[in-house]
Amino acid sequence: MNDKELISWIEKAALGDESSFQLVYQATNQDVYRTVAFLVYNKQDIEDIVNEIYLRMWRSFHTYDPNRPFRYWLHGITVRQVQDWKRKTWRRIRLFERNRQMTFEQFEWTDKIVLQSEMQHELFSVVRQLSYKLRVVVILRYFHDYALVEIADMLQIPVGTVKSRHHLALRELRKHFDMIGGDVYVY
Amino acid sequence: MSIDKELREELRQAADSMNCPPELYGRVRQSYQHYVKEKRGGSPMKKHMLAGIIAVAILIPSVVFAASYLADDIFGSSAIIEQHGGIQEDYEEIEGMLQEVKGKLTEDEFKEYMELTKQLMQLKLKITDENGVKHEEKLSQEEQQQFEQLASRLVPYFEKLNGTTEP
Repeated sequence: MNDKELISWIEKAALGDESSFQLVYQATNQDVYRTVAFLVYNKQDIEDIVNEIYLRMWRSFHTYDPNRPFRYWLHGITVRQVQDWKRKTWRRIRLFERNRQMTFEQFEWTDKIVLQSEMQHELFSVVRQLSYKLRVVVILRYFHDYALVEIADMLQIPVGTVKSRHHLALRELRKHFDMIGGDVYVY
Repeated sequence: MSIDKELREELRQAADSMNCPPELYGRVRQSYQHYVKEKRGGSPMKKHMLAGIIAVAILIPSVVFAASYLADDIFGSSAIIEQHGGIQEDYEEIEGMLQEVKGKLTEDEFKEYMELTKQLMQLKLKITDENGVKHEEKLSQEEQQQFEQLASRLVPYFEKLNGTTEP
């Protein structure tokens, strides 16, 4: 499946063709879900956001620039939607209540597999503890392989800011990396 | 191993363990269908609101109209007195009288007045045939007693209304 195909599906889906919608969903849902799940930890919130991302996809299809790769557009929508969600104050109020249940929910979401992988992968557990602002840069840089300039564009912040956040995040990660199995790593 | 490489590797592995729950599909699909509907036929929300506004616009006058009839509280509707030899004008007259009473009594007094009058009228209707002729023998002894009791309880109100008692 290439960008061209996918784009034509989205176009049809945006016009109301349900079978195209299915194809788009199948081709993209894992990517979207995982990206959101790296940034937000509550299972219910992740699902809410994923749902909103798809709605945004149909509604703002006309903003797609065909000269850019499809995934760039998709990830742009994804991080903006996550940020919108974070901005909404009423959700913050809900968070107050959530914090109380946090211990439970964290475990519910951090299911066994993730727990295991956290134990085996110390670095990932540090990533999960980074602040959102640093974490989003790490995910876009090391999970999606975007250049810092592209990340700045997606997050709509200056490149300098991205650079400094990237730097801060790596410094944090290095601390742990050196402590554990970073044996081969030389400063 | 460099930190870059290790980080990429761990993120990839973590991602592999995070799978989009299959039940999410149904939800996203529902939102999609909603989006399509909205796109085709205008927002269903707007239609509902419009229907709601129209319904309220129709209901308000009838509610106001219904509420303005105190006589309805006593008889139910003008049809009832029409069955007992009354006409619409009589009904209007009673209504006028009740409105006047309402203005003269306090809220609590009026409430009791209405209740007593209602009971009394029910008995009166019972003894009044379709030509408006009274047949007091139709009441049982118990009902006759009740009638008198109601009438005597209403006396202070009548006196007050006619201004025959000193405050």
